[in-house]
Amino acid sequence: MLSSQRNKLLCETGPGTLMGELLRRYWQPIAGVSEFDRQDTKAVRIMGEDLVLYRDREGNYGLVDRHCPHRRADLAYGFTEERGLRCNYHGWLFDHSGTCLHQPFEETRHPEGTFKDKVRIKAYPVAARAGLLWAYLGPQPAPLLPDWDRFYARGYKQIVISEIPCNWFQCQENSIDPVHFEWLHSNWSMVLRGQDGPRAPTHTRLGFDEFDYGFVYRRVRADTTEDDELWTTGRVCLWPNCLYVGHFEWRVPIDDTSTLSVGWFIDELPGDAPFEQRRIPCWHAPVRDEKTGRWIDTHVMNQDYIAWVGQGAIADRTLEHLGESDRGVIMLRKRMFEEMEAVAAGRDPLGTIRDPALNDRVYLPIVGGLNRPAPGAGPQPFVFLAGQPDEVRTEFEQAWQQCAAASGAT
Amino acid sequence: MCRRVRRDLTVSPPDAYELAEARGYGLTASDLRRWRPLSSIEIHWARKHGLSPDAARRWAREGVGVRDAVRAVRLRMRPEQVRPWAAAGFLPGDAVEAAEAGMTLAEATAWRNVGFILPDAALLVGDGWTLDEATIARFAGVDRYAPAGR
Repeated sequence: MLSSQRNKLLCETGPGTLMGELLRRYWQPIAGVSEFDRQDTKAVRIMGEDLVLYRDREGNYGLVDRHCPHRRADLAYGFTEERGLRCNYHGWLFDHSGTCLHQPFEETRHPEGTFKDKVRIKAYPVAARAGLLWAYLGPQPAPLLPDWDRFYARGYKQIVISEIPCNWFQCQENSIDPVHFEWLHSNWSMVLRGQDGPRAPTHTRLGFDEFDYGFVYRRVRADTTEDDELWTTGRVCLWPNCLYVGHFEWRVPIDDTSTLSVGWFIDELPGDAPFEQRRIPCWHAPVRDEKTGRWIDTHVMNQDYIAWVGQGAIADRTLEHLGESDRGVIMLRKRMFEEMEAVAAGRDPLGTIRDPALNDRVYLPIVGGLNRPAPGAGPQPFVFLAGQPDEVRTEFEQAWQQCAAASGAT
Repeated sequence: MCRRVRRDLTVSPPDAYELAEARGYGLTASDLRRWRPLSSIEIHWARKHGLSPDAARRWAREGVGVRDAVRAVRLRMRPEQVRPWAAAGFLPGDAVEAAEAGMTLAEATAWRNVGFILPDAALLVGDGWTLDEATIARFAGVDRYAPAGR
């Protein structure tokens, strides 16, 4: 249970809020690189800020204010040039640093004028890594964009984006809530399949550890012991807004009542022949069943979404009754409060990396090890989110066959 | 699900999986031996915060993991101080959480009797809530639906 004031602290991420200031100290994934195969601009809303993400013809990515500072036209409808993004209304041109490069009519009338030097647009740095586009909305100098070791694992990768109509923090609390898996994903899935039982093995013990980049949660179930990797290695609540369990699930606030779920997935491939994926596809997953109007419940993360959305647009934590299964959630909240205070006091918060020597394939604990074997039963269906496009499925199967052939496997 | 049996490092060296995990935390096989039976993540956290292997093992014997042990040492607690808490049915690490919030065992027990688990109570106490206030708040929603006269 939290006071409403404490709840607001966790949930509000707009500019100037304590949590907003904390989250702005980290690079946030906001789009897939491959989304720019067919478009030059994309309107995005991050932590309550309306912005336009674009790639100019030189290949620079920019993230600038949604509205042109001239007459407030929508720059999502602007067009890119060799360098920068030009407003479609009167042609003002801005580069990725926010510098105004050109004001056509002003410069015609006043060739020696300096008006454009006096106009800037809000701009944030963007970087590409692992098929994702990352934005940093905080003060300079920015920390390094984390270079997680899993990004380099061999396998077929895909990025999936969805918009969840609820606050980001109830999504992130799910990242340190081991028991929900037993009920939301195991037992409920069984019910959805029309089965009566047997129920999933119960959790019998939970443990939590901390490391440089977040928390590890550990579990013992009725069918496991403390020798199982679920206990010895555990799974990662990656600081500040991600779950890492071999794949990544970031929960990026769009605003205080909606969240961008950004998933980065990898399917191991057979054999050990080199495999290079030229392009990591990025697709958008639906969250609602168009026929019934209900939330989609067939896939793992869709089930999570149902739980999160069910808590309300902003979960009212003044009404909750926490129990033993919530120890991780309380630990997460407490650490969030501490890190908000750290930022307010001018310190770097947990998990920011500034030393390039430390940012080379950064290790994250993973059950099964970094290079896990491909499943022996062949390419598996994508279980995490509904709506995988046929072309992504086909590309994965082709990658599988290519690797199987190269290794002599079937 | 991949499984492995954690071998007793007193009689056998760590396997490739354990070594890979240890390397990830910046540790060597020698570190694993020196810190046994602690896990890589515990060794990593203990070293980062200056907790010695002997101290970590002393806390572990009382059922307190490295994360809580680091906090306990910061509070100048001694391992044996958690025993009354464990005897009262709390997790040993709860003693640390309570100490951070300035809660006595009697206070923690009173909060527990109302239904608050220790970390929840500690956060509320840290925010200045009294047990009476928290109790009213906790049951305000439920009481609306209570049978008349209850």
